[in-house]
Amino acid sequence: MSHAIRKLAGMILTLVIASFIIFAAMFAAPGDPVTFLIGNPENLTPERIASVRAQYHLDEPLLAQYWHWASGALTGDFGQSFQYHQPVSALLAARVPVTLALVGYAAVILAVVGIGLGVLAAVRRGRATDTLVVGGTTLAASIPSFVLGIAFVALFAVQLRWFPVAGAGSGGVDRLVSLTLPALTLSITALAIVSRVTRQSMIEQFTSEHVEAARATGLRERFIVRDHVLRGSWGPIITMVALVIASMIAGTVAVETVFGLSGVGSLLVDAINTHDFPVVQAVLLFMVVAYMVVTTIVDLLLPVLDPRIDRRKVTA
Amino acid sequence: MKNTHHPLGLAAATVSVAALALTGCSSGGADDGAAAAIEAPFAAETPAASGPLDRATWMLGGEPTTLDADIDATTADDTILANVCDRLMRVQPDLSLGQGIASAAEWADDTHLVFTIRQDAVFHDGSPVSTADVLWSLQRHAAEGAAESDEYANVVAMEQTAADEITITTSQPDAILLQAMAGDGGIVWNPRVIEAEGDAFGGPGAASACSGPYEVTAWEAGSSLTITKFADYWDPEVDALTDEVVFRWAEESAIANSLTTGEAQGAYLENAGAATSFAGSTDVSVFQGPSTNAWVLEATDRGALGDERIRKALSLALDREGIATAAFGGLAKPWKTPVGSGAWGYEAEAFEAAYDALEGAPAKPGEDDLAAAEALVAEAGGPEETIVVASNGSSSHNVIANALVAAAKSIGLEAEILVVPQVQYGDFYSDAELRGQADLWPDEYYISKNDPLGFYKNGKSDASVNFTGFADPEYDELVAAGYAATDDAERAEITIELQQRWVDHAVWIPVVATPATLIMANDVTGVPSSAAYIYTPWAASLGSAER
Repeated sequence: MSHAIRKLAGMILTLVIASFIIFAAMFAAPGDPVTFLIGNPENLTPERIASVRAQYHLDEPLLAQYWHWASGALTGDFGQSFQYHQPVSALLAARVPVTLALVGYAAVILAVVGIGLGVLAAVRRGRATDTLVVGGTTLAASIPSFVLGIAFVALFAVQLRWFPVAGAGSGGVDRLVSLTLPALTLSITALAIVSRVTRQSMIEQFTSEHVEAARATGLRERFIVRDHVLRGSWGPIITMVALVIASMIAGTVAVETVFGLSGVGSLLVDAINTHDFPVVQAVLLFMVVAYMVVTTIVDLLLPVLDPRIDRRKVTA
Repeated sequence: MKNTHHPLGLAAATVSVAALALTGCSSGGADDGAAAAIEAPFAAETPAASGPLDRATWMLGGEPTTLDADIDATTADDTILANVCDRLMRVQPDLSLGQGIASAAEWADDTHLVFTIRQDAVFHDGSPVSTADVLWSLQRHAAEGAAESDEYANVVAMEQTAADEITITTSQPDAILLQAMAGDGGIVWNPRVIEAEGDAFGGPGAASACSGPYEVTAWEAGSSLTITKFADYWDPEVDALTDEVVFRWAEESAIANSLTTGEAQGAYLENAGAATSFAGSTDVSVFQGPSTNAWVLEATDRGALGDERIRKALSLALDREGIATAAFGGLAKPWKTPVGSGAWGYEAEAFEAAYDALEGAPAKPGEDDLAAAEALVAEAGGPEETIVVASNGSSSHNVIANALVAAAKSIGLEAEILVVPQVQYGDFYSDAELRGQADLWPDEYYISKNDPLGFYKNGKSDASVNFTGFADPEYDELVAAGYAATDDAERAEITIELQQRWVDHAVWIPVVATPATLIMANDVTGVPSSAAYIYTPWAASLGSAER
């Protein structure tokens, strides 16, 4: 119980520090939000600039501005978007589902294909298949995701017309189809690390005593891999998959832009470009929270999978 | 007056350039959007539609931000509002001024503008558009802090002076006020809806407060917005052929791809160069038409450019044709003034004849131009210091900045490029310290009213965007005279004189005009191809093309 409270306190402290760092970074970034708030250069008179600054508290020192934001956030009010003139919470509510669906879809592909390839490479270690898997995934990892995305659009959406070129579909099957290319793009570049960890972790198990012992009993290789090798390998594999998923949440920006998805990633780029402070703050904090949630779930899950694992392994 | 610049995210800019290269429909490769020149007809309208359409999908450059034009209106917002909201006056496809909710408008004297309000219009909720509603709308536009309140700067009183009459009293003559009534500053709102909606007005899910030929029936935040034909529209001249238009939004390359695959039927592009991938397409055509947009090099008073001889010399030496090809794939025109032909909303022949006679901004500098430029430089004492031209890193900015450097070197001046982050670039208009770091910065400028006077007022000695220190008392007097000239022919004559003076002093260096650019599937047609789509109900003329 006390462990849970300590953990929660740590998370809250992390959030507070992160929110301040983000706020300070936006404050220090080049460019003046007033230029965007007023828009028309012909209206950028000193009087108008001063009145808009006052209206948005932009004429106050950093700490005072941060306090304005934080006191609102404490009551669940994350402010109004400068650009969309809607509550930030409403903007996020409309966009989070798309990003989560995309990351979820990519995570499934990543887990199934990544672990599958890792197992294949480990079982066929030292042979051509192993080399092919390691080489192929490494090559895939070296392609920037937006380049891969553009190639996918050009081939599968524009030339072959199998998938829509942009947008997240309207839900259900339509959404699944629309998110296929972006999810593939997002997962392919991360396959290498998952398959590599799977392979490495299994190879270590192959040479371990309990596997040797199982071999001695004359068990078939298939059962040895399933019941002894894989079982002992889950810890690092799950940890790595989780870390990759957590980083994906913050890494959808390029993919969302290429595929015309209105998720939090494209919202973030747009908000940074227009100095939409409240939106930048909320999106980045969402990403921090999502990261924490994923790593916490893994923390809780690992001991269940493998009792030997100390439960404070991931988020030390 | 509206002039909102939308900086493209760097990521998006990179992506679209790369996309052009990879989608295989651009013959020019990835060299910053330079593609084969493309032939696009230049006209105010596309061929008339021959039949009805159940629905069409239209692409926008970004998600609408709010449909409350008094808060703010981006190009995407306006493209929708044009079909949804009526205004006192109406911009015609050819950018001339027509009637809207006001059936007549007349200057009773120098300071009294009288509108006759038609009494047969109805809002989307079925309630009649009353004279009082119109007055309420004008007051909302004029309120302090409202986006269009600058249009009302000279207004001292607005009153209902008869059952169907509103009189606006101004402190001084303001010939452009009537034009403003066709823009967002002239939208007629339904006060009952706005009061009922409160803070939610303008956002997704809010009720329509307008009386236009279409109403917003769905806005799925983050994915699409749908407008549907309004059956009880008052104007028999505007009989919409298309029942439903669904708007989606994406960045440039995704817009082009959506048209290519037939997922969308059309888009008005914010960047003409993005249309080059349709060169030789059999399914999609490119149309261009008049707009007020022009790329310019705005000069500061930092150094050598404070001397107008240097500005004129650089203008003479600039290769505008090269810029039009390299940055816009041939979809921009070398241009001699800082405002496009779409500003000629009246007396177009007079403006055109005056434009043709202008000199000092050749499409491609010849030997005479370069000799004249070198003579100007010598006369100015051949400044030693390096000229600094800014760029925000986008391909259009880079091409123009590079062309300026080349022009400077060709006439014996030194020049270099200063890259300013995209998010900071707009601060050139507000930050004197930033202006102190560069002599010139390229930018696309446009005005929201189709009257060049609305641009040339920027040459007044106290204008907020006159940064070179250009000051000419006669010019200032001419601007005042122009605003007082409610007679079109007289105002055109004065404005042409202003244009001549602006060009003579090269207050800004004109680069290219970027016409309105429309990409549209060949099975639909009818919409305007001019910049009128910002304010006129363009979707009402969209229909199927003859098979």
